Amino acid sequence: MLPPFALERPDRLEDALALIGDDCLPYCGGTELLMAMKLNVLRPSCLVDLKGIAALARVEWRGDSLVIGGAVRHASLAADAEISRSLAVLTVVEQRVGNARVRTQGSIGGNLCFAEPRSDVATLLAALGASITLASSTGQRRIAITDFVLGAYETVREPTELLVEVLVPSARLKSGVYLKHQYAERPTVGVALVREGENGVWRLAVGAVGDVPIVIEVSSLDEIDAEAVADMTDPIEDISGGVDYKQHLVAVYVRRAVQAAAEDLGA
Amino acid sequence: MTTTAIAITCTVNGVKVERTVEVRRTLAQFLREDLSLTGTKVSCDVQICGACTVLVDGQPVSSCTHLAVDVDRSAVTTVEGLASEGRLHPLQQAFVEQMALQCGFCTPGFLMMAKALLDENPDPSREQIIEYLDGNLCRCTGYAPIVAAVEQAARVLGPAGGDSNA
Ligand SMILES: Cc1cc2nc3c(=O)[nH]c(=O)nc-3n(C[C@H](O)[C@H](O)[C@H](O)COP(=O)(O)OP(=O)(O)OC[C@H]3O[C@@H](n4cnc5c(N)ncnc54)[C@H](O)[C@@H]3O)c2cc1C
Repeated sequence: MLPPFALERPDRLEDALALIGDDCLPYCGGTELLMAMKLNVLRPSCLVDLKGIAALARVEWRGDSLVIGGAVRHASLAADAEISRSLAVLTVVEQRVGNARVRTQGSIGGNLCFAEPRSDVATLLAALGASITLASSTGQRRIAITDFVLGAYETVREPTELLVEVLVPSARLKSGVYLKHQYAERPTVGVALVREGENGVWRLAVGAVGDVPIVIEVSSLDEIDAEAVADMTDPIEDISGGVDYKQHLVAVYVRRAVQAAAEDLGA
Repeated sequence: MTTTAIAITCTVNGVKVERTVEVRRTLAQFLREDLSLTGTKVSCDVQICGACTVLVDGQPVSSCTHLAVDVDRSAVTTVEGLASEGRLHPLQQAFVEQMALQCGFCTPGFLMMAKALLDENPDPSREQIIEYLDGNLCRCTGYAPIVAAVEQAARVLGPAGGDSNA
């Protein structure tokens, strides 16, 4: 049973921004928030539903860059034809987030703002060099995704701010692979390997295994030492495995990602 | 308007429903307790088992973790909405013929999830069926008969998929 709360359903961003705060939380799909409320981890007196705000529901291209509104659902991203043509690695990730119910309900903004470490989305966005825009009633700021997530369930977002958009710069020029090890509903390890253009640097991100994704840049795939990458991770010990096991998985998946990138992209 | 109860209008299995609902009520509670549609089951209550799956505007959701007020102006389909004119839906028929259930508690969720799959992809491969249903848990059957039932239903429904009996 959910504890009592009030619900606001604004259709303008300004109205939502005027409402949110310490005790009045943004609410989109509720896949994390309602669960936290059922478990009494969060006890807000009011929720502000973001689903009626058109400005947060857009997916658009600005030149080669992709801009995704904070309330866009995983299912829309997974089904977006232009994204699958121009940034197929995002389609791969979105088609396999959780299960089809979580993809129907859950949003990209909710995924990032909740900052549950086992996120495929945050890992890929880190490799893509993405940034997010936070808005409040007094202004906006843009932050690199790697600076946004501070730790498990912790971001730099102030309670009065909303994540309004995710920006993937030069998205059309990027290509990459994403592999994950997952035996239950969330990933144990996720590895993204992305390059911009034919001769650009490679960005490798390893996520889900530690509190935040780690990101490494190399100019050629040969420079990636899978064992050394595994040593750089700081795995969370949990029901899906201990530190040694997870570091072993990281090395295996980094090797596979390098091999897949070499094959797929003719590197 | 700040409010703890909202008047909503929706259709449930094609029937128009107008109610004032407390915002903290989940869709599962609304269906089971307010509308007496007890076909939808609640098991894990944390979106992992899939027993509570219903369709909202054709898309699968976990009704245990979905506010009832969020179906305002939407069409909800529950397991009770599958059969029509006294005839089982091909998915239900296939579940019976393939013995894809034992205790039956997870079955409504599997049926609705499979319906969502076939509506989207009328001719799924075995791997696609397994992947799509991997967020639904069954403790009795060992899954193989469930996958076989979905394959059978896909053959019976043909290219029109689940939509033929929406
Ligand atoms: C069973 C299950 C399996 C999952 N599997 C995966 C997986 O495999 N890979 C993966 O990457 N993720 C996975 N997830 C996480 C999933 O992607 C997120 O739960 C979902 O995207 C959250 O979005 P939401 O709209 O439901 O957020 P909500 O629950 O509505 O909100 C989450 C939090 O973010 C805040 N918030 C929401 N939107 C905004 C915004 N625009 N601005 C500021 N704050 C905001 C809320 O106040 C709340 O604190 C899984 C989740 C579940 C429940």
